[in-house]
Amino acid sequence: MGAGTLAGCSSEPQGSSATPQQATITFAASTLGDPGRGPGLQKLIDEYNSSQHVVTVQPASVPYPTFGQTVLTQMGGGEGPDLVRFDMPEFSTAASSGLLEPLDDKIDAQKLKLIPGPDKYLTVDEHRYGVIFENSNYGMFYNKDLIPQAPKTFEEFVQTAKNTTKGDVYGLAFRQTQAEEAGVWQDIFNYVLGFGGDWSDGGKLTIDSPKVIEGLKAYQQLYDANVIPKGADAATFRKMFANGKVGMELNNGGYVTATKSANANLNFSVARIPFPEKKQGALLAPITINANSKHKDAALDFINWLLKPDQQVKLQEVLGASSVATPTERSAESLQKFPFLPVLDELTESGVPQIVKGFGPQTADIRHIVVSQVLAALQGQQDMATAMEKAQKQAEELVGR
Amino acid sequence: MMHRIRLGVAGRTIAVLVVLGLAIFPVYWMFVTALSSDEELFSSSSVNILPNFSRFGVFAAALADGQVVTWLLNSLIVAAGTTVLSIGLGIPLGYALSRFTFRGKAAVGLALLFTQMLPEALLVVPLFAMFRRFDLLNSLHGLILADTAFALPVVSLILKGAIDGVPRDLDEAARVDGSRPPTVLARIILPLIAPAIAAAAVIAFFSAWNEYVFAVTFVFDKPLQPASVGVAGFIGEQDTSIQSIMAVGLLFTLPAVAFYLFAQRYVVSGMTAGAVKG
Repeated sequence: MGAGTLAGCSSEPQGSSATPQQATITFAASTLGDPGRGPGLQKLIDEYNSSQHVVTVQPASVPYPTFGQTVLTQMGGGEGPDLVRFDMPEFSTAASSGLLEPLDDKIDAQKLKLIPGPDKYLTVDEHRYGVIFENSNYGMFYNKDLIPQAPKTFEEFVQTAKNTTKGDVYGLAFRQTQAEEAGVWQDIFNYVLGFGGDWSDGGKLTIDSPKVIEGLKAYQQLYDANVIPKGADAATFRKMFANGKVGMELNNGGYVTATKSANANLNFSVARIPFPEKKQGALLAPITINANSKHKDAALDFINWLLKPDQQVKLQEVLGASSVATPTERSAESLQKFPFLPVLDELTESGVPQIVKGFGPQTADIRHIVVSQVLAALQGQQDMATAMEKAQKQAEELVGR
Repeated sequence: MMHRIRLGVAGRTIAVLVVLGLAIFPVYWMFVTALSSDEELFSSSSVNILPNFSRFGVFAAALADGQVVTWLLNSLIVAAGTTVLSIGLGIPLGYALSRFTFRGKAAVGLALLFTQMLPEALLVVPLFAMFRRFDLLNSLHGLILADTAFALPVVSLILKGAIDGVPRDLDEAARVDGSRPPTVLARIILPLIAPAIAAAAVIAFFSAWNEYVFAVTFVFDKPLQPASVGVAGFIGEQDTSIQSIMAVGLLFTLPAVAFYLFAQRYVVSGMTAGAVKG
């Protein structure tokens, strides 16, 4: 293959000296399965494929409901997609298990001007294992026709949810079933952080601390107030939000495109979550290279191409209100379409990735313990304090401290 | 007297219709949901009981790119292959367990029961490693083997029970006439346990048709995936088209229902095969 063709592949500044060989590689990303965002990402991949004739990227078909579990099993068995867009709990597990290719000498964060805040979470045991693909902050989405004025405090939030719940319209929606364990974790993260709690202090688990319990009691208060469509999964209540049947929900910026795609005429906005503390969850999703990949250079070439300024802007447009790896400016068109984008962007400073600090690789297991206990409390089997005492004990046994 | 008989007939008819309605309603509701707009789905003021045929395009859209047809064909190959292999291996296994005495027979029986207590999720990692070693990943025949491993214990136990119900006198009479065990099995026992074979085939077929965990983990290429994985692919991280899922889900259930209707007359009698000895 001629040098001219290879020049089409991403070039120098990223620090990789290896030239990719002719290869077809697979890229697994749950984004590809989204009706709203999938086609946009596919278009971007097609653009890369047609920009050169050495590397071909193909989407790996892994359904979202079992994405993390499936890809980790495949990687643990010595297979799996070449490129993976992981969520943080699975990223931590994969990195600490040696399933990801270290990128220390391949990615120069300074040259690339990677945004340091989220980027610092991609180092495990002092090695870099990925680059931010998507950083999505959690905000309060609200229907402006149902709720003209966004609530500013938790008390107003509860009252607004109650006032909006009438007939087939619910004031709020969140996940509350074991089938959506990862989603429940994302939802309760905002309540725990918003009330000043955290799952650990970095060295010791603090699952049963008063602040964590306070946050979870706030979550339970809204569940008990019958202001949510109980039993509805995220796919259902998001459709309900898009159709004016739900007033508010706490969700990440990635949801903006999906909402617009579900109902282009929905009059909605996003505000900071009105909880006492200005801290909220952030959905960090790195793009990583499978350590089993036979075409690591080809995989790196795609990452390098994606990190170029033009591609970063295009990726951000695809992802909606999420941020990407490098600083990009919102276009006037985007700002006109979504005037609330700066609100979501400003949340980056208070965004916390949804892993248990200091216990990244065990996050998925701790998540299972905590969510099971929280849901048992919601169903009235125990009070929230008892639930968290049990969760603390089980999680301590799990991590051995 | 006639009046009482008429009431009895009417009561039974109503009961049958109610039961039939309960059985068919979920499928009908999938159909109605597939043909509903988002607005209709979430409105409590106007519940759609009748399908809106003007939205029938959702089925055409689901079938448009040919993927759904490929998934269904893959499912059909995997389910049929699993059924044939499970029955083919289950018959001699059931026969051996029923008619022969050998060392470790009780252990084999227990082991078959034990495999049914292990969840698929627990076996997926070791099986993955094994399949990788034997180059069985990303193939339909690999999936058939994995599904057969799960279906075979149930199939062989059903067939053992059915063979237990065939009087041993028939075997002995055939032996006196000079038949060897394979001939006895093929000519005497199999025709008598045909209903049980049909019942076991239905169970093996359904188990492979619905299987998801092995299919999603062992098969990487989209054109090789069965419909159970294809349908799950319609559930997005941020967004899900409920109508598409219902449309594809309905198409996914129809071949299985058709197979069941084809085999059901054998199933009913097969379920009781082996229940009474002698």
